[in-house]
Amino acid sequence: MYTQFFGNYLLANGYVTRDQLFSAMRQEADQHMKLGTLAIHAGYMNAAQVDDVVIHQTHQDNRFGELAIQLGYLTEAQVEELLKQQTPAFLSLGQVLLDEGVLTNTDFEQIIQDYRSKNGMEDEESLIERRKNIQQLFENFFSSTDAALSEKGHMFIELLFNDFIRFIGSDYTPLSVEEVTEASIACCVKQEIHGDYAINTYISMDLDTAIAFATRYVHEQFHSYDEYVQASLEDFLNLQNGLFIVNVSNTSNTELTLGAPEHITVSPIQFSGRTLHIPVLYTFGTIDFYMECVSIKE
Amino acid sequence: MRIEDTTILITDDSILARKQLKDIISTLGTPVFVEATDGQSAIDKYKEVHPDLVFLDIVMPKKDGNDAIRDIMEFDPEATIIIASSVGTQSQLKNALEAGAKDFIQKPLDKEQVLAVVKRFLEGR
Repeated sequence: MYTQFFGNYLLANGYVTRDQLFSAMRQEADQHMKLGTLAIHAGYMNAAQVDDVVIHQTHQDNRFGELAIQLGYLTEAQVEELLKQQTPAFLSLGQVLLDEGVLTNTDFEQIIQDYRSKNGMEDEESLIERRKNIQQLFENFFSSTDAALSEKGHMFIELLFNDFIRFIGSDYTPLSVEEVTEASIACCVKQEIHGDYAINTYISMDLDTAIAFATRYVHEQFHSYDEYVQASLEDFLNLQNGLFIVNVSNTSNTELTLGAPEHITVSPIQFSGRTLHIPVLYTFGTIDFYMECVSIKE
Repeated sequence: MRIEDTTILITDDSILARKQLKDIISTLGTPVFVEATDGQSAIDKYKEVHPDLVFLDIVMPKKDGNDAIRDIMEFDPEATIIIASSVGTQSQLKNALEAGAKDFIQKPLDKEQVLAVVKRFLEGR
């Protein structure tokens, strides 16, 4: 659930490059978690102790857990608990980066501590706590950018991140938001939102990314860019915007309306209003989302 | 009424949404499907084929769903129109029902909800 935000945290703080992150996210699905990583995450062992066990492993052909017990770093009960527990999604990403040598155990221990304290994550998460955490993670994500956002803008992007999880998958990282005046596009759909919060929304991606996006969105395999692939971009944008105006209507009693989604073929797009670019990095490619301000009354 | 004896007009500018609706409804049997991609062509198709059931999106080019409902109801006050839209605000729902729609399905389409609506219609005939 939190992978995308952990990835963003790593990227925003310079722990990994965009290429390292992209490569790690591609491998994440098949990742085998190591006990040392789980023990650091659980706070049962520190990085120096994990490194110590790993050094002992080079001399003795014992399992990590057995050695950690022998050395007094873990109890048997803790080993059992670690092996049984469900792994938070973001840990898999951490494991890849450790295996690739991008991070050391010491880096990882520090990052996990900082990430948890900044994002207030709990070990036992009820649904309500999880929602609060998403909110917190989201706020941290935006505090790292200079792009000022209105309350509805905030609501829009939070919903967008949730819709990406809901309809495409949680294996993404939102990169930093930036203001832009133009955008080069390949496959791009635009939809206008009218009313007191009038903005133009755009979703754009390259051809291969669009095919992979549609495959996930429709749950059918697409191999080439056809009308169904094109329609899935329209459909996703329409769904996002439809849900947004439902949310706005529920929370502020403001009624917004939508224009029909339209395909944009002329590149680059020249934006006339203030425009936020929200790049979202998936394992199958990058999705560029744009919000162009037309007229906002709040 | 049997599903095989039913003509269903599906109106949505998204080919994907039309396909999804057809796929879901087809799990009940094989009706005759007629398709339209905007409000105006929905009205034209309605007058041409007199479908038993109409699925209509709200946000469409040329003429939106609410205008299309009014025109269809004016032509045939007995028309059975179901809205399938992502814009499920209270006022949209109110407008659609006022215009004469019988039901409102919020997208993303939920298979069970679509089937329940179609079954209700078939049993009512």
